[in-house]
Amino acid sequence: MQIFLALFQAMSFFLFVAYIYCKSPAFTPLRSGALRTRHRLFLYALFSALSITGTYLGLPVQGAIANTRAIGPVLAGLIGGPALGAAVGLTGGVHRWWLGGFTGLSCGLSTFTEGIIGGLVHLLLVRRGRADEVFRPVVALVTTAVAEAVQMAIILAVARPFSEAVDLVQVIAAPMITANAVGAALFISIIRDRMDLYDQVGALSSARALRIAERTLAMMAKGFNAAVAPELARIIHEETGVGAVAITDAERVLAFVGVGAEHHRAGTPIASDWTRRAISESATTYADGIHERYECPLSRDCPLHSVLVVPLLVDGEVIGTIKLYEPAHRRFLSFNRTLGEGLKVLLSSQLLRARYQEQKSLLVMSELKLARAQVNPHFLFNALNTIMALLPDSSRARGLLNHLSNFFRANLKRSGELSTIEEELEHVSAYLEIEKARFEDRLAVELEVDRSLLQLRVPTFTLQPLMENAIKHGISDMLTPGTARIRVYRHDGAARVDVEDDAGAFDERKGRGDGLGLRIVDKRIRNLLGERHGLTTSCVPNQLTRVSFTVPLPVAAP
Amino acid sequence: MRALIVDDEVHARASLKAMLEATGEVEVVGSCADAIQALPALRAERPDVLFVDVQMPKVNGFQLVSMIDRELLPQVVFVTAFDAYAVKAFDEDALDYLLKPVQPDRLARTIDKLKRAVRDGARPTFESPAIERIPCTSVGGIRLVDVADVELVRCGPAGVYVVTDRGEFLTELTMQVLEAKTDLARCHRQCLVNVRQIEEVRRPEPRSAVLRLKSGKEVPASRRYFLKLKERLGLRREGRYLDPLS
Repeated sequence: MQIFLALFQAMSFFLFVAYIYCKSPAFTPLRSGALRTRHRLFLYALFSALSITGTYLGLPVQGAIANTRAIGPVLAGLIGGPALGAAVGLTGGVHRWWLGGFTGLSCGLSTFTEGIIGGLVHLLLVRRGRADEVFRPVVALVTTAVAEAVQMAIILAVARPFSEAVDLVQVIAAPMITANAVGAALFISIIRDRMDLYDQVGALSSARALRIAERTLAMMAKGFNAAVAPELARIIHEETGVGAVAITDAERVLAFVGVGAEHHRAGTPIASDWTRRAISESATTYADGIHERYECPLSRDCPLHSVLVVPLLVDGEVIGTIKLYEPAHRRFLSFNRTLGEGLKVLLSSQLLRARYQEQKSLLVMSELKLARAQVNPHFLFNALNTIMALLPDSSRARGLLNHLSNFFRANLKRSGELSTIEEELEHVSAYLEIEKARFEDRLAVELEVDRSLLQLRVPTFTLQPLMENAIKHGISDMLTPGTARIRVYRHDGAARVDVEDDAGAFDERKGRGDGLGLRIVDKRIRNLLGERHGLTTSCVPNQLTRVSFTVPLPVAAP
Repeated sequence: MRALIVDDEVHARASLKAMLEATGEVEVVGSCADAIQALPALRAERPDVLFVDVQMPKVNGFQLVSMIDRELLPQVVFVTAFDAYAVKAFDEDALDYLLKPVQPDRLARTIDKLKRAVRDGARPTFESPAIERIPCTSVGGIRLVDVADVELVRCGPAGVYVVTDRGEFLTELTMQVLEAKTDLARCHRQCLVNVRQIEEVRRPEPRSAVLRLKSGKEVPASRRYFLKLKERLGLRREGRYLDPLS
């Protein structure tokens, strides 16, 4: 019984060491998977020391020592593999042998063996792809129990005289197997708890970062400015729970939320050195409030003592900062520090995305302008020429001038990205009136429109360029009269728009690079209605060219 | 001064005709809607000047000019709504160009220029483009025959025939124009042949040759043109391998 107590006493010392170890920075490498040489050396020293201490903390029993030496080598083997286990076992074993006694050699030998047993279990688990299980307390318990049983066998085999060995084993076997096994299991369990804690903190931190990302995404799409800053600051303040949050651009405070808001005011110039440094060096600055204190440049009574300033970068340029503060009575959590760094990356990439979106919409605008400009020059001159020829017939000339001004007015008025099919048809009709006058009986136009689809929205300037294409590259190149046709109808659960001409020259002209107008229309339809809705063309030479696109119906018709 | 107008737009023709007649200097002898109508009109009317639109169906203004026989070629004024074409018109050594809508004072300057050119009897010279497709009349209407598809062109009693594996088609273009503006080669006074279609050269007697085409048709080659043709065929020296064929 006395042996049990002594051994448990020794064991609790180990658990104390385990606890301290987990708190120390030296613990970090254990979490990161593969061990480096430096970490191996550290673990060797730690477990060797444990093993030797185990010997000293043991209780002398009949010329031998009942001890907890085994925990060191077995755990070293389990965690670090056979080499580490053998090294720790050898150290602990040689030390025990050097102390002497009739079991000196046998105990020394068995300590070495125990290290190897731990290592073999490690190897076995890793080979089976269950490396995680080396940190299972049950594994440590069983492995250590087996290792201790092996030690007893070695004592019986090696120690002489044999009778004394038998007596000794009878006394120490049960307490030593139990104490070492339980000790190893508890040691591992402390390490594991600590690892779980890290994982939980990590998970919590990721969850918060994701929640911030979700809440800020739509907002950051509008860009980074004084309008979105207060809301952004509020979200970060809410999610991190820090004392205060400030947002600045490169020169001014845009928003401030939390403790000290009465003297930290939005719109004031940046006053703090920490922020200026973060901006000028494009790097995070941090005053932990202990070694370095944040001194508020605005007010002596400012309760804020620690600050983290992260710069927001877009295309390598600092466009502002986010500042997290804690008041004097609260420590700046390293957790929030990590989160702050994460915010930098997150918001910077959101801003980059916003900038990209903005450029994309600019591109769409300029394409719209291009689409609009494309019709102008030759169409206008030909139209004017026709009108001048028709001047003797003044009422017709007047009519055409009306159509022409309607057409150009519609061009100017239509700045939106989407228009109804009805508006598109009006636009194309004005255009067709002029072309019909120009080509007279060489051009006939047919419209087949399902009127229930008139309010459907399509990209602005879609129909007219398609019709212009059909006339310019189709019908105007025919020696005989031609017909252009617009059809709007339901097909396969969507609306479908066809623009046709009976010149059937599409294949022929494809090679001549006339496709710019069509390409712009195609791209805009894809951008605004979705990738599935681009232009499709079909051509029967000398008979038909058909350019079509589909438009999704808003709700399935009942 | 006699003028022919070629433009595919009826109102453009009408307005130009009215403007030209209003100057009192020009007699408009015809208006054509496309190149196909213009070729016979040019031959029938022999105008002094041709006002031609650039953008026309199938055969554009430049191509039309290249199809006109050198003997018949009048002064040419291109009329276009496209500025870019105007620059090209100068490259083509056109006498002048007019932009649509045509301005009366600008037209007056053109007419002055034309009057001088006609008085001096200056012959327009053109570096006009090669002909890629030959406009022909067929039963159904107009057919544009790709030069590569032509087997031979022969002169018949009714005019010039373009022969392809799909049949023979009458064209308004002359043998001279086709010889100058396509890579068809003269093999006989009455005949042009597509060199790429020649499969075999036979010489039944030393003074003449017979060309056998891929389609099996046989074309006589007169001695005078055969010498040049041999160069085209890469048979400059009397190849020994021709002998077994003779």
